[in-house]
Amino acid sequence: MELSESVQKGLQSLCDPSVFDQSGFSVLVDVSFRSLLSAHADPGVLDQPELKHIDRIVLKQSHAAAATFILEAVKQHADKSTISSCLEDVTCSAERTEIFYDAYQKHKGEVEGLLASIGKRLPHINDASWRLEYNMKNGHVHKVNEPFYQISLSAEKDGSSEDINFSCTMEQLQDLVGKMKDAAKSLEKATQM
Amino acid sequence: MLLVLSEEHKEHLAFLPKVDTAVAAEFGRIAVEFLKKGTSPKIYEGAARKLNFPVETVQHGVEGLMFLLTESAKLMISEVDFQDSVLVLGFSEELNQVLLQLYLQHCSQIRSILSLLPPHPPAYCNLEWRLDVLLASRSLRQQVVPMVTMKLLLSTGGGNHSVRVVQTDPATLQHLITTLEAALASMKTNHARRILRNIK
Repeated sequence: MELSESVQKGLQSLCDPSVFDQSGFSVLVDVSFRSLLSAHADPGVLDQPELKHIDRIVLKQSHAAAATFILEAVKQHADKSTISSCLEDVTCSAERTEIFYDAYQKHKGEVEGLLASIGKRLPHINDASWRLEYNMKNGHVHKVNEPFYQISLSAEKDGSSEDINFSCTMEQLQDLVGKMKDAAKSLEKATQM
Repeated sequence: MLLVLSEEHKEHLAFLPKVDTAVAAEFGRIAVEFLKKGTSPKIYEGAARKLNFPVETVQHGVEGLMFLLTESAKLMISEVDFQDSVLVLGFSEELNQVLLQLYLQHCSQIRSILSLLPPHPPAYCNLEWRLDVLLASRSLRQQVVPMVTMKLLLSTGGGNHSVRVVQTDPATLQHLITTLEAALASMKTNHARRILRNIK
């Protein structure tokens, strides 16, 4: 796993007992995970009593380094040996490595979910609603007397939702459902390969 | 149901008995052509000159015929009702028959032309699909996410088409299939059958 110089430097300070004592280290590791997952860019996340005595700039560099390290590790699905060797490179003690790895295991799934949701994608269909209507007459033609369906597919893209509305006859709806069933059947066959 | 013709309309149609029945039949054919393809004023001028009538009279006559046909087709009136409605104009029996045949022959064509007029919501045309598996992205490597990409082709009236490309996951696809199958089943219920049978 490749880490930039500033990340390595930040991690080195983090693992240095003369900069971060044991409780400070644990707290910063915890805070790093929290700032990625739940803190939503809250600047107060670093205001922990265990971190008060640490120089502000060093604290921020170590925090940034730890967060970057976490994201890279999750992105690459790093295993224990990869993480251990990265931390060894910055002279991290075995004890601290263990503390970090435990936190990594605990929060890995959540960070993975976070990373998976980042990125551009096509609108994603979540649901479909339908109405069966009977067309009796309109201003131009009377006695139409035909049933038809109004279908609405609700799609979501980057957090905003959009509806795709269209009408179809029964035959067309049968065609649509038939094609979807073909897709589902191929999916099933693919899973059995 | 009888067609009620306005005085103005009757006046316009009064032009027809003044020409031969064969010519009136020709005007009938022209009226149907105009309904299908749009009007062409040159025909009025040519006919007016040949028959020695003012252009306006010829035009009103043809337009009157067009309106008679569209109104009759709109209401889908029966043969008997059409004949009775036309009786009011006091035409010869031969002319009445010509008009009746014109109506009967072209009724369904005219109805389909008229049905292009009301507003249409986008209508389903086609669906194409494919199966993909997401293996990696810029933000996360080593993924295995199956997904179904679908291209929905919709026609938005007037020959225009719109294409929507969307994605869904296998579970949602199953849910969509179940939901839409329920929609299809609703047409077969007693309630729906009763309404479809009785409203004619």
